[in-house]
Amino acid sequence: MRAMRWLLVPLLVVPLSWLLFTGFSLDPRAVASPLIGRPAPAWSYTTLDGETLSSDDLAGRPYVVNFWASWCVPACVDEHPVLTAAWQEHGDEIAMVGILFDDSPDNAAAFLDRYGRPGYPTVVDESGTLAIDFGVTGPPETFFVDAEGIVRDKQTGPLTDASMADRLALIGIDR
Amino acid sequence: MSRWLPAAALGCILALIAIGVVLALRPGPATTDAARGAALAQELRCPDCASLSAADSPTRSAREIRRQIDELIGAGASDAEVRAHFVDRYGQWILLAPSSPAAWLVPLAVVAAGVIGLAWWLVRRPRAPAARRVLSAEEQRRLHDEAEALDA
Repeated sequence: MRAMRWLLVPLLVVPLSWLLFTGFSLDPRAVASPLIGRPAPAWSYTTLDGETLSSDDLAGRPYVVNFWASWCVPACVDEHPVLTAAWQEHGDEIAMVGILFDDSPDNAAAFLDRYGRPGYPTVVDESGTLAIDFGVTGPPETFFVDAEGIVRDKQTGPLTDASMADRLALIGIDR
Repeated sequence: MSRWLPAAALGCILALIAIGVVLALRPGPATTDAARGAALAQELRCPDCASLSAADSPTRSAREIRRQIDELIGAGASDAEVRAHFVDRYGQWILLAPSSPAAWLVPLAVVAAGVIGLAWWLVRRPRAPAARRVLSAEEQRRLHDEAEALDA
């Protein structure tokens, strides 16, 4: 009976502590996307420059879809140079597109004036339909689509150079 | 014991009547498209809020979810198909209530296990032996002396 008491620690306390420690350190927004392994949603929108761009225009190459907003600070500001650098390095192998999330084109243009234009287009998803289709909870979120149009990974929160390189490798782009 | 029986029986009958009234007055399943849409929006999480339903939030994502619900209902989708549309995009996370009825039993099972464990512990707990110790001759003498000193 007394020996049972000592079993309580490994059987109850250790697993419960582990559950609480890991559970509370998780980001509740970082939900695994059901889109991974499935074809990316199709879309057609107007860019900040007033041109029409659709997912068909990107087909055949791996591509990166980045949901962002000018009000998303500091996360979108932090990852801005990472996205710009990835485009400069791999722009001939991949396509990249920004999707404006719940923001006005004027604010987006002011953001790009201030932090630099990355060189790839941003389209305006005015109604938020595409954000729902991609299962976005809030910017920044970035999806990595391979050349066959299958979503291979999703980053919730700002990208770093390392996480960008890891995810690009999943869609066939090696440094 | 027996004089409590009628009171307990009356309490049980009143409780049953209360449950019956609540069940009878409970709103039935929504019939109009608007009511169905509103009920479904209550079940879905607003993706860019903290713990609000799509029905209770003014954000753009919540508005878009409500619009898509209405559009799907207008196209003849069933409630299950509307839920599946959003689960396809966000996973089970988008549902504010678990879709499996079995999930509701988990907290009850945990509480039941706790009650059984507590009862088992209370029944099996060894009773503390009564503290009875015979005083030594020295202690008896001291007790006697101190009582005498108090009386004096």
